[in-house]
Amino acid sequence: MGKLAEVFLGILTAMGGFVEIGELTFTLNGGRRFEYALLWVVLLGTVGIMVYCEMAGRIAAVKHQAVFSLIRERDGFSAGLLTLVAASIVNLLTCAAEVGGVALLWQLLSGWPYRGLLLAALFFFVIVVWSTPFKWIERIFGLGGLLMIVFIVAAVGLDPDWRSVGTGFVPSLPQGAGGRDTLMYAFYGVALLSSIMLPYETYFYASGGIEDRWKPADVTLNRVVVIIGFTLGATLAAALVVVGAEFFKPHSIDPALPGTAALAAGDMFASVGLYVALLGMFFAFAGAAIETALSAAYNLAQFAGWPWGLDKRPREAPRFALAWIVVFVLATGVVMTGIDPVSVVEYSIVFSVVVLPLSYFPVLAVARDRGIMGPYANGPMANVLGWFYLALITVAALAAIPLFVATHAGQG
Amino acid sequence: MKPTIELLRDVLDHDIVDVDGVRCGIVDDIELDDGPGGALVVAALLVGPGAWQARLPALLGVVSAWLFGRARTRVPWSEVAELTQSVKLARRAGELGLGKLDRKAATWLNRLPGA
Repeated sequence: MGKLAEVFLGILTAMGGFVEIGELTFTLNGGRRFEYALLWVVLLGTVGIMVYCEMAGRIAAVKHQAVFSLIRERDGFSAGLLTLVAASIVNLLTCAAEVGGVALLWQLLSGWPYRGLLLAALFFFVIVVWSTPFKWIERIFGLGGLLMIVFIVAAVGLDPDWRSVGTGFVPSLPQGAGGRDTLMYAFYGVALLSSIMLPYETYFYASGGIEDRWKPADVTLNRVVVIIGFTLGATLAAALVVVGAEFFKPHSIDPALPGTAALAAGDMFASVGLYVALLGMFFAFAGAAIETALSAAYNLAQFAGWPWGLDKRPREAPRFALAWIVVFVLATGVVMTGIDPVSVVEYSIVFSVVVLPLSYFPVLAVARDRGIMGPYANGPMANVLGWFYLALITVAALAAIPLFVATHAGQG
Repeated sequence: MKPTIELLRDVLDHDIVDVDGVRCGIVDDIELDDGPGGALVVAALLVGPGAWQARLPALLGVVSAWLFGRARTRVPWSEVAELTQSVKLARRAGELGLGKLDRKAATWLNRLPGA
């Protein structure tokens, strides 16, 4: 395995960002509503998250510095604190949705009461993170999430019109759109971009690189990990759009519950397909829950200068350990109220776009600085892409909340 | 000629690590003092929520004091051994009054198996 195993950090990060419960429903619903007209957003967002995760991973390898240390140093204390508060809310809400998603999947399989399963999920997550080294968390949940590939196989098996799929990668408005539809399409576009470029992916990825003790010699490995992980995540997201358009639209099914997604695989590969899809979703949601809880703890520890890392025993990084435990407890508390996990994550996705510019600016500022990064500083390509995406997410951040209000959170 | 240190760029908001390499806070503020000939000299690093209020807008400063308290630790500049990406101290965190909450939390966590 050796260095090759590092790819699981990329896969886990990408799975936690691309096929967590929120994006699963966004992509399926997007496909059902607009067919392939949103595929170009998947492509646009994927390149964006690759650009920023590559920079954050490179800084982690060269300077051993994580994203929130950079935010505090570069954005200043007040803006840094604002970013910390907003990012913590996004992490907490997303973690809540994923814990709820795991309990819903268990309920589907066992028929046991939802609230009891939420407590079981809390217990499960705390035990797993407490007792499992970071490397094994990467491997178990990265590898398990690969079962989601069943959706790629299902998308191909649905035999879509590949010409239409191809046309979806060219930016355009859906056919016959006008007025209200255009607003809905814009909302879905911004939300999908935000859900692909979720800021916690960068926080987790860079901190994971430091946990894995990357060195300057690992900058090429970092690039490979980013490309493999996020290409896989994007292919899955695109496959889910296809499944939404080719399976859920003709069957007039509204995939509002996470378990519904597995129907497409079940329809094609009978009960084996159904169970593989449900197991894949379990690993993807659980991976995202761990990714968000750890991200919240990493952010707090890096902002406040506490010792952090799963490579340390809890007694060596005590406030960090308490932080992720508290996040799991609070997240479970949020879904215990009976609120729908999918609507929780839809809120968190829209608000996370507001955090994006404040999170990504310091990454770009440091990655391009030759005084800090020396020969590992950005080349012209990374700089151009970095500035382009910074401008794009700033526009998306300004548009997100008005669109959210105007479309009643995408409900029309 | 002595190398120049830009306090805002190289010191403020940087990690502090002790002589054993343990993270023990962030430079939340810098205390300046009158030096010879009226020049300002760095007297100490200020660490902890008590140093945040001066850096926040007035209302947020009050909220921060209410939420996190006003405790802060003063680390004399003479205890700074080296400035790299982090501020490295010449002694252990405990000897300088840093990392108190971590030690308290560690005692509590130590009762759990696998800690």
